[in-house]
Amino acid sequence: MHLDAGPRIKKDPWFIIGSTLLVLVFFGAFIGPLLVPWDPHDTGFVPLSPPSAHHWLGINDGGMDILSELLWGLRNTVVFGLIAAIAGLILGGGIGLVSAWMGGWIDQFFMRLADIVLAIPAVMILILLAAFFRPPSAVLALTLAALTWPTTARGIRAQALTLKNSLHITAARRMGGSNRYVIFRHLMPELFPLYLINFAAKIRMAVFMEASLAFLGLFDPAQKSLGLMISYALKYYYLDIWANWLVPPILLLSLLIMGATFLTISLEKIFDPRLQESV
Amino acid sequence: MRTRQHKWSRPVFAYLAAALILVYLSYLLPQLLPGDFVTAMYAGADVSLNALQEAELKAYFLDNQTFGEYLGNLVRLDWGYSAAFFAPVSTLFFAALPWTIVLMGTAHILSSFLGFFLGVEAAWRRGSLVEKSGVGTMTVLEGIPEICTGALLLLVFSLHLGWFPAAGAQTAYAEQTTFQWVLDVLHHLTLPLITLVAAYFPGNFLLARAGMVMVLKKQFVLTAKAKGLPPGRVRYAHAARNALLPLVTRFGLRFAFMVTGALVVETIFSYPGLGTLLFNAISMRDLPLIQGIVLFASLMVLVVNLCMEWVYTLLDPRVSHAS
Amino acid sequence: MQVHIQNLRVSYLEENHSLLALDRLDLTLHPGRITAMVGESGCGKTTLGKAIMGLLPDNARLRGQILLDRDNVPDLDEARMNTLRWSTAAMVFQNGTATFNPVHRLVDQVAEPLVLKGTPRKKAMAKAVDMLAHMGLAPEMARRYPHELSGGQAQRGLLAMALILDPPLVILDEPTAALDAMTKAFIARVIQDLRVRGKTILLITHDLDLAQALADDIVVLYLGQIMEHLPGRDLLENPSHPYTLALARAFPAMDAVRDLGGIRGDAFYRMVHAHAGESGTDHVHTHVAAPDSFHQGGHAPPRGCLFQPRCTQAVEACTRDEIAIMPSGDHQVRCLRGGIAQLLCFEQVAKSYGPIKALAPTDLTLMAGEVFCLVGETGSGKTTLAMIAAAAIIPDQGKRIFQGRDMDIWVKKEFTSLAPKIGVIYQNPAESVSHRFTVFDIVAEPLRIHKMETRTEKIHSRVLRALSDVRLSTAPEFLQRYPHELNMGAIQRVCLARALVHDPDLLIADEPTSALDPSVQAKVLKMLLGLQIEKGLTMLFVTHNIGLARKVADRIGVMVDGRIIETGPAARIINHPGHQYTKMLINSARGLSDTPQGMSQVYR
Repeated sequence: MHLDAGPRIKKDPWFIIGSTLLVLVFFGAFIGPLLVPWDPHDTGFVPLSPPSAHHWLGINDGGMDILSELLWGLRNTVVFGLIAAIAGLILGGGIGLVSAWMGGWIDQFFMRLADIVLAIPAVMILILLAAFFRPPSAVLALTLAALTWPTTARGIRAQALTLKNSLHITAARRMGGSNRYVIFRHLMPELFPLYLINFAAKIRMAVFMEASLAFLGLFDPAQKSLGLMISYALKYYYLDIWANWLVPPILLLSLLIMGATFLTISLEKIFDPRLQESV
Repeated sequence: MRTRQHKWSRPVFAYLAAALILVYLSYLLPQLLPGDFVTAMYAGADVSLNALQEAELKAYFLDNQTFGEYLGNLVRLDWGYSAAFFAPVSTLFFAALPWTIVLMGTAHILSSFLGFFLGVEAAWRRGSLVEKSGVGTMTVLEGIPEICTGALLLLVFSLHLGWFPAAGAQTAYAEQTTFQWVLDVLHHLTLPLITLVAAYFPGNFLLARAGMVMVLKKQFVLTAKAKGLPPGRVRYAHAARNALLPLVTRFGLRFAFMVTGALVVETIFSYPGLGTLLFNAISMRDLPLIQGIVLFASLMVLVVNLCMEWVYTLLDPRVSHAS
Repeated sequence: MQVHIQNLRVSYLEENHSLLALDRLDLTLHPGRITAMVGESGCGKTTLGKAIMGLLPDNARLRGQILLDRDNVPDLDEARMNTLRWSTAAMVFQNGTATFNPVHRLVDQVAEPLVLKGTPRKKAMAKAVDMLAHMGLAPEMARRYPHELSGGQAQRGLLAMALILDPPLVILDEPTAALDAMTKAFIARVIQDLRVRGKTILLITHDLDLAQALADDIVVLYLGQIMEHLPGRDLLENPSHPYTLALARAFPAMDAVRDLGGIRGDAFYRMVHAHAGESGTDHVHTHVAAPDSFHQGGHAPPRGCLFQPRCTQAVEACTRDEIAIMPSGDHQVRCLRGGIAQLLCFEQVAKSYGPIKALAPTDLTLMAGEVFCLVGETGSGKTTLAMIAAAAIIPDQGKRIFQGRDMDIWVKKEFTSLAPKIGVIYQNPAESVSHRFTVFDIVAEPLRIHKMETRTEKIHSRVLRALSDVRLSTAPEFLQRYPHELNMGAIQRVCLARALVHDPDLLIADEPTSALDPSVQAKVLKMLLGLQIEKGLTMLFVTHNIGLARKVADRIGVMVDGRIIETGPAARIINHPGHQYTKMLINSARGLSDTPQGMSQVYR
């Protein structure tokens, strides 16, 4: 799209802060659980004890180490976000590309389907599913992807349609480029910024959703999660535990969502020609 | 004329289909539960049932009603019976609904108007220090989910400082004049409202600003200025009117997600709306209640979205007037 | 209302440089007169319109004065300016539909200024409907939204909107771009009507036909500078500045006859910026750059005439000093050479061979950069005249001035410095080259004769360049070919390469294509005209075929029996011939009457 996007984006403070935050949080999510000495499910400690040298963030009401719980919870949240975002991107991107490329009734079908799916509030379906069947969180993440692909598909389709009619693609086709060649060599790479934007936006949405559902108690209570931690910690508000129990998950969740938000906003700003700041 | 029909029928069709799918799912899912539904539901739950209730429940769920009968029951407000609260689901639902509407409605109206107005003004002052810091603050705020804002506000303002009540929508059993009652309700409303506005406002602000920045580059804004119109008129009657369009579209899309936020915020502040009801239903595994709340909350989302489509056609003559 | 613009300079700030859009512009607009402003895109036309309205964007920097009667626009605060806008000065913006707000009805937008100036709403609406009707839009149109209007309807709506407050100053920015002929004619009538009503009108346009038809004064803008200020009627027929001529030549006027010429080189932007100079300190300067081109440090700021790199008559002095705008007749011209220079001027030049009068005493002027066609029958003296111009024949009487010097003296005293300035192509290419010469030797001949180059490799590279200019092969085996191995078209190209290898200023082409097939002829002609523009040649083109002349000439001279009976711009000669003989030539070329054989006797 814009050849000068690379250097420009590296100068954007939002991009720098956002990606740094995400890298740090992801690092914490994937490396952290390996480093903490306690099993988050181990209930053998003194419940509600304050932070100590062994338990930096203390112990919760069930006698579990809060730091271990926190990092495992973060990991689950991040994994949920990644699964939902990757699946949503593949589904939405695939449908968008196919719709744009094939046109005709296939396009019509997918776009009408997108209208319908878009109208269904995804949260509600997730709540129903979770409440009735208590599926593993990966299934919920995939369901979320299945319900949120239309936004991605519409964006990718619109851009792919413009590209499809652009001169260099027409030229490539006239030179005898096969569908496969044009799609893989031209369309897919040129849409790359769109994937990025969608990916960041989807992670943000999925993480937010996971936290909310967990907070409402819709996940398996045995599965660690930031939302659930906040929910439990709030029950003990009358004890002086907020600094070591309530604030850490809030902080981590905020940092994660902030990172994704900054990244989305920065990418949109750089890649949307209509939002260009210069005159 | 053909275009007009097309433009109108498309969303209506999509919303109807979505509503049908929702209702059907809610009909289908309980039947897919393995084994005896009632046992599955109450095994390990902290509710104990007497024999009569159990029989009633089994009658409700095992009765293999057809989809048509199910639809009929829905329309007659016969949404089942909540075992946890010992009340019909519809009664519980309609008792909680007004509070949710008060909270969500106020939050949406406030954050939309504020976001739109400030976003427009910010775009007008693009490049100034005020605008830059405003955009920065809003971007940061946009990154904080309402779970976090809500929990922090609750912790600081009601638990530590004690300025606001920590739960409920009104003081129970108090003798109050109407005026006192209104003040009391507002007092209870403050924190959840602030939480929700803090969650919706930044998004609306950023969207309005981005839309306005784009519109300000359009030729017709220059025309309006050239006509010697007062700056306020150029800004609102000409530019902002056009910047409103994407805001309305996005509003509909975001609405469903906003509902989740409201559920969470209500739970945090124990506000007696649908969110808290749902939270309680979930923690007690009261499936009929969950089902009823989810279904009707979803249908409400659909109705709001449909209204947004209609508002959009009012705002943009290019949609409703076929050329 | 009189608009007096003095020393106006507008630049646009960008990240690390700025674009100079208008440079020390002086211009006065008078009531009851239409002033048209023409020039290529990016020359600053629209900037001027916006500057008068006080509508320049925030990154624009403005110096100088724009006096609307007594108010100086740059001094006015926004509130005062706002009271002047639309009531005193209104503007019709370009690209119609986008100028309207898509969410308001047409009539609302037209009536809006009235309502805001205090007219009751009902009355204002009625007046707006009237005004729209006056512009040919029915009341039901008035109720429409902008996207429901066609381009022509939108343009009528814009005019109605601009005139609703009856402002004394109207600025029209491309009012007829992309419109159908009917709407265009209507809008032209509206503008004329405004002039009759004493409005001051600034017409910004690409459409030179419209400018010539409507304007009292025309201002030609190039890179933010006024190049020429001339009476409207002279734009296409009698321009003074080489740029004006080039513009006119590039414009597809309805009655233009020559094929579109274009202007050599590209239009550039002028940048003002600072960067580290050779001394290490920042130095601020302006320079000319192609859009988006990367700027290399260490260049000199442009000096002299801005148009000089593209000009066909630039001399060394043009690159040196800044040039002021100077009066020249009723034109004002910014040109060191006082406008389009005379390259060659004949005064009463005549030639006889014994008793036969080949050329009666004749006056003729060739302007720099133009293509002049001499049209006439065999034996009408056109070849004699051409050869006199080529300094190949000494005339019996009269005076020849070439580049400001007396040619006869020049020929006698310094023929070696004169000869390289003239290139000649002859009627019969096969005969005009030696059959003992290879292609390389033929083309290299002028260089060797004039001793312009002595080093073999230099000669070689110039020959190759000349050959590639005329689209011939530069392969070594082709260079060693002999003329008889080539076809007629190729030989003529070789002749052309020979005529151009020493970069002459004047090219004399005597029936250069008469020996060629029509298809080859078309190709050679096209190439010849392309070269004429790229190299900025002045060309004297001799032909018996007025149809051909029509395609190539800027001006045409018609010869009969050793006399030029009529000269003028090609369009006028072709469309409104003044002489019976010319009419007959044209008619016969169109096949409407008999061949002109022998008819010259009648008009002796």
